[in-house]
Amino acid sequence: MLDRSELIRYNRQLAIPDFGEEGQEKLKSSHVIIAGMGGLGCASATYLTAAGVGRVTIVDFDSVELSDLNRQILYWEEDIGEKKVVVAQRKLSKLNPAVEIIPIFAKLTEENVFSIIDGARVVVDGLDNLATRLVVNSACVKHKIPYVYGGVSRLRGMLTTIIPGKTPCLACVYPKRSQRGGGLGILGVVPALIANLQALETIKLIIGHSPSLAGRLLLFNGEELGFRVYGINKNESCEVCSQASGLEKAQ
Amino acid sequence: MRVAIVPRMVELRVMVNPTGEVTWGPPSAISPWMYAPWRDAQRKGVIEMEVEGETLRALLTQVSDRYKQVNVDFDPIDPRTNDVDFDYDVLINGKNYEVVPYGLGVKLTDGDEVQIKMVWRWDG
Repeated sequence: MLDRSELIRYNRQLAIPDFGEEGQEKLKSSHVIIAGMGGLGCASATYLTAAGVGRVTIVDFDSVELSDLNRQILYWEEDIGEKKVVVAQRKLSKLNPAVEIIPIFAKLTEENVFSIIDGARVVVDGLDNLATRLVVNSACVKHKIPYVYGGVSRLRGMLTTIIPGKTPCLACVYPKRSQRGGGLGILGVVPALIANLQALETIKLIIGHSPSLAGRLLLFNGEELGFRVYGINKNESCEVCSQASGLEKAQ
Repeated sequence: MRVAIVPRMVELRVMVNPTGEVTWGPPSAISPWMYAPWRDAQRKGVIEMEVEGETLRALLTQVSDRYKQVNVDFDPIDPRTNDVDFDYDVLINGKNYEVVPYGLGVKLTDGDEVQIKMVWRWDG
């Protein structure tokens, strides 16, 4: 049951047909993990907190640097040198004190990922490399937790929503190999745009609407302001999510 | 030149003037757009076409044109830079086109294999 303050705070989204108090209650009782608090994570965390997700766990092992400030909008000059998750927790809590913000200062690894994502309704990608994404992807598939991938470079971005058992996972596409795509430069508005679409997909998942990018890959090109959406298929021999892989491991 | 295009997981592999028929089995691409709506290609797993000219640039341009004819937005060459678009890696016989003499102007020869890979984004 929403209290008077919540009815006022969320008034604009409560007025949306098919969202209403029921949708808000679902958000309030949900737990979202944001893996990585860089350009993507700052923006998705801000909007998910503002929207009223009940618990938001933020995970990162970095401290704020001057070169982060063009895109990581939760951090300001006065925060340089502080742990990102501590700064983010402080500011997100001021934005919406009713949301429980749980900071975890850690690098996601095969050893700790299960305990960190356990109990999450959705994991939102805010990472900056393929290797850690594959670790998170694999854990999400095993725990059957939706994982909203987002990635950016320069003025380009990509996004897909991974629903374990239904859609392709990241390992369907890039099982192990490292690939060009990191450290190429980023204009701050691009991760903000992609992260807000990730937040939208996350909210839709939580309130029971079909995520628009399940089994579809969105590509954004900021040079021409172009969006493309391609359908993507599962890799039937994927080592992480294929049925054959699951049977093999079970035996 | 005659080319046989084989869509694989996240890339197009293009065989230049292949000797004999290229039959690489059923489709296994992650991205269905790679087959476009060509029924024969979907059945055989291979897209065959003729390319006018001999260079890598001619190949990429005409493959792109063929996809555009069926409303698939596929631009391996960025018209603004006239070079390979940032969304793709292009390899010739396993080497990035950038380190091959003449780059996009290199003349392709019988048996060459060109890979056009979609680049996913990993920064955050």
